[in-house]
Amino acid sequence: MASMGGPNDLSSEMELDAFRRLFPICFHERHLLESIRPDGRALGRARDTTLMLGAVASANGSALAKIGCTTMLAAIKLEVMTPTAEAPDEGCIAIDFHMPPICSPLVRPGRPAELAPVISKQLSDTILSSGMINLKDLCLVSGKAAWMAYLDIYCLDADGALFDAALLSAVAAFSHLQIPVVSFNDDGRIVLISDDNSGAMKEKEPVNKEKIKLKLNNLPFSLTCILHKNYILADPTSEEESIMETFLTVVLDSSFQLVSLNKPGGPGLAHTSSIQECITLTRQRVKEVQKILQEAISDMEVD
Amino acid sequence: MAGKSSATPTTYSPSLSGQKKKRPSFLTDSDWVRPDGRGPHQCRPAFLRTGAVNSASGSAYAEFGNTKVIVSVFGPRESKKAMMYSDTGRLNCNVSYTTFATPIRGQAPETKDLSSMLHKALEGAIILKSFPKTTVDVFALVLESGGSDLPVITTCASLALADAGIMLYDMVASVSVSCIGKNLLIDPVSEEESYQDGSLMITCMPSRNEVTQMTVTGEWSTPKIHEAMQLCLDACSKLGKIMRSCLKEAASGPQD
Repeated sequence: MASMGGPNDLSSEMELDAFRRLFPICFHERHLLESIRPDGRALGRARDTTLMLGAVASANGSALAKIGCTTMLAAIKLEVMTPTAEAPDEGCIAIDFHMPPICSPLVRPGRPAELAPVISKQLSDTILSSGMINLKDLCLVSGKAAWMAYLDIYCLDADGALFDAALLSAVAAFSHLQIPVVSFNDDGRIVLISDDNSGAMKEKEPVNKEKIKLKLNNLPFSLTCILHKNYILADPTSEEESIMETFLTVVLDSSFQLVSLNKPGGPGLAHTSSIQECITLTRQRVKEVQKILQEAISDMEVD
Repeated sequence: MAGKSSATPTTYSPSLSGQKKKRPSFLTDSDWVRPDGRGPHQCRPAFLRTGAVNSASGSAYAEFGNTKVIVSVFGPRESKKAMMYSDTGRLNCNVSYTTFATPIRGQAPETKDLSSMLHKALEGAIILKSFPKTTVDVFALVLESGGSDLPVITTCASLALADAGIMLYDMVASVSVSCIGKNLLIDPVSEEESYQDGSLMITCMPSRNEVTQMTVTGEWSTPKIHEAMQLCLDACSKLGKIMRSCLKEAASGPQD
């Protein structure tokens, strides 16, 4: 009678896919022993990242970010609002993260994903506290009119590291944002000046002279790492996230200052040395992503 | 504290196109010139791609002019526990719009209505007996709404179902026709749809020559309906060929 040797005995007899489904932790640990992951990446390496600016033509600024298979579409639409009395020369940014049912088999229509409002709040906090955007730049007429920037991020394909991809798409969308030229019309409302009407509108003073881009300082970039026993895996896929549940998200800005560090509990506990290592991995990642963003911006300008 | 307000402030869009355009009064008798320069019986060029979403069993992306839609199909998977036993499969459809799909933020049309119409259009084409007790979920997300949304959603959904390997009697293609004055315009854009006197949408299975859904709204005379139906059916059969070639490309592509 064969003794119950557990998964190790069966591994030689079972088909690879079945083993992967039935004993996922064992499957992944076998790979980690060789310092590699099932998709062939090294432990500290992130997946291929691509960025495309201007994906949504009708929005004032937009970007499509892909990290591996995780795809995020961010779009910014500008609307006019009356600024509050406490801050008469500041605009406002409203950030919303959506996970529509197309992105993952775990999301059902009518029942929003649990993860969506969590990431929404995290993004909101990160972007507003990083000081990337000076809200005074969003003012039109002090006390009367200011821009409200609605940033909507849609997850089109959820394959792990959602926060990283969402933050990248948000930062790219802000880099692409162009504030249109507007003026006050007779009713006291702000209207767009379209190019063909520029002759007729000469009597109306434009509130801002030309289409301007927002001045951005200290763009934040992030990296999520999974802590499992004494391994650190950067940029997890959804399969890795579902079996190894302790992760740490580090957000650094372009001058490598720490913007936020988030370890939302989890069964694993982290030594400060692991946290240091995660920060080092994030620093490398920030350099990579900055280059990718620069390339995407210069591609847009050539067009 | 910058940027946070306790109540959401009311905002308005500065865009001029937000204001409702009044329909020009000369339309009833004269010829309508289409804003994108197409002929009245010319459809927009179709861009179709399967395999857009990796997490889904099957998916497709469709771009017809400015109308862009992604559809994901999940399943066949376990029905909800509350559902009674059924020896045929179930279909569950859901359509949603992004907030930036329409020119003015947040003005999405009634999606429950679209979801139920999508369900009815696809029901007839799926071989439900092939997956008893389970459910196939079809989810659509409209990224940009440029007119003729439901036909594009239906076409894209049928491609996604084929990509997922769900058994179908035939591909489902859908086209709509708008009637403005005396003009019959196929595959209308949003501007044309806002001025229309009536619309006719046909969803059919081109190779079997069977119609799964037909919707007529507005004023139509009988000869006009016949003409519009013929236009739609011809366009659907061409669209069916385009869909098949897209699937063939996808199947033969990765093998090299």
